[in-house]
Amino acid sequence: MTSAILENPIPKTGRRLMEGSEAIAEAAVVAGCRFFAGYPMTPFTEVLEHMATKLPPVGGVCINAESELEAVGMAWGAAATGFRTATGSTGQGLSLMQESFAEMALARLPVVIFNMSRGQSDYFQSTRGGGHGDYRHIVLAPQDIAEAAEFTQLAFHLADKWLNPVLVYGDYLIAHTQEAVEIAPLNFGELPDKDWAVDGTGSGTGHSKMVSSLGFSKFGQAGPGIEGSFQLAAVHTAEMQAAEQRVEMGYTDDAETIIAAFGTAAKFVKYVVAELRSQGEKIGYIRPISLWPFPYEALADASLGCKRVGVFEINAGQMIDDIRLGVLGRAPVSGIGGVSTDSSGFGVGRLLDATVVRERILAFHNDTPLPEVPR
Amino acid sequence: MERELMVTGVGGQGVQLAAQVIARAATLENRHVMLFGVYAGAMRGMNTDAAVVVGDTPITTPPVLPATWSAILMHDKFASGALAKLRPNAVVLRNDSVCEGVIDREAFQVVDLGATEIAIGLGSEMVASMVMTGAYTALTGLVTLECVIEAMGQSIPSYRRQHIAANEVAIRKGFESVEQLAAPAWELSKVNQ
Repeated sequence: MTSAILENPIPKTGRRLMEGSEAIAEAAVVAGCRFFAGYPMTPFTEVLEHMATKLPPVGGVCINAESELEAVGMAWGAAATGFRTATGSTGQGLSLMQESFAEMALARLPVVIFNMSRGQSDYFQSTRGGGHGDYRHIVLAPQDIAEAAEFTQLAFHLADKWLNPVLVYGDYLIAHTQEAVEIAPLNFGELPDKDWAVDGTGSGTGHSKMVSSLGFSKFGQAGPGIEGSFQLAAVHTAEMQAAEQRVEMGYTDDAETIIAAFGTAAKFVKYVVAELRSQGEKIGYIRPISLWPFPYEALADASLGCKRVGVFEINAGQMIDDIRLGVLGRAPVSGIGGVSTDSSGFGVGRLLDATVVRERILAFHNDTPLPEVPR
Repeated sequence: MERELMVTGVGGQGVQLAAQVIARAATLENRHVMLFGVYAGAMRGMNTDAAVVVGDTPITTPPVLPATWSAILMHDKFASGALAKLRPNAVVLRNDSVCEGVIDREAFQVVDLGATEIAIGLGSEMVASMVMTGAYTALTGLVTLECVIEAMGQSIPSYRRQHIAANEVAIRKGFESVEQLAAPAWELSKVNQ
């Protein structure tokens, strides 16, 4: 009996073991992405490598550009033709792309951006943007590989729905953790035709299309102009803000302490909070899934009646600004995370450890001094 | 239920491969699986650790494990992190060909196996981690032998495929070298589900 138990035939399964970088690339191709340009930089490099493997067999194009600046320019051109397009990097590389992101948002172009960040210190860059003008990106923060694959497909849908860049906020853990996942196509609903796409069909007709961040139009055609174009962008930003907030909360109804966290850090917080709840501690969590638009109303409702809100993030304090805006004085807000990375600066520091997270949450909950951030 | 495994050793011993094989075997069995490997910047001689979590529902354990149900010690030079996370009564499969440290045999279920010696006897020291993988499979039934062998074949890159046959021999040798299901990962009545 023992050998029979241990020598079962291999069943069929749709799941495959893959690292997050591959899951993201596969999800992008499944979502219909057919152009990707990027430049290697840890921990984004594998996303580029997997796209280079997966795109050509489906008729797509992947280019390792000379730098991030060229990569985003290429993505801009591809997006203007209507093809589902993506680019990405880590925070330092995305810094080079900020002007183009602003221009693409103001030109109302759909593009998906992957930030495989080093820690969580690109929250400001992602949600405020480093470019010029009135624009925002939708920002989705997956907590694990399964969500990274799902949110990649969602990102392409939202980008097409709103004609706006959408950023998926990953990190080293998302890039290099492996999970058994099945990447099946997801249907998020109908989308309008891309009749604005500069696809070459109007060439020589005198009625060719133009994609412009400044509201320019062809001679003799009415266009919104610069002011009108920027005003339209502001209107649609407000519409996105109302429609695309996403959040997950747990144990908040009677919580004395609420811990806020996003992305992979939230997976640690959720694990610890569940454990502490089972031990009778009145602690809850809130996990913003859309970092923009930020779920301020959900946070306001959840924090009503609690005694304190702690923000666990792996940086010097960035999401805490949005937490304070949402809580708006209902409870004191404190940071309980910190700067933490490994010796390479790319990966996981000692703060991302459930034992350490538990100590910090309990100290905060019990109003005792926080331990030093471990080094 | 989630079962954790930490594999630790020295770079070059096949720690990452062993973890990959077990994780892939669990994937073949349609379980939920997470694997996270950590290693230093040198391909030989430095620390190498991997964490595997297998469950029947989506994994809630974060990739840096808070605790582990089991461990494979290919070497104990860099094992302090893994040893500190052993749950009470954790299953520890220890390569006593090279491990020299003392471990609390009252607190944990420790099984010694001279994997490196066995591997050398099979003709290649390199297959020691496959010996341990086979032994772990027999000991715990976390995954099945057939899935482990299939997973090993899927884990070997194209330029190393000449080692598949030797790896399979090592897996089977390890499987035969320990008491089967002496420390079952799953309830025996539910192993076939």
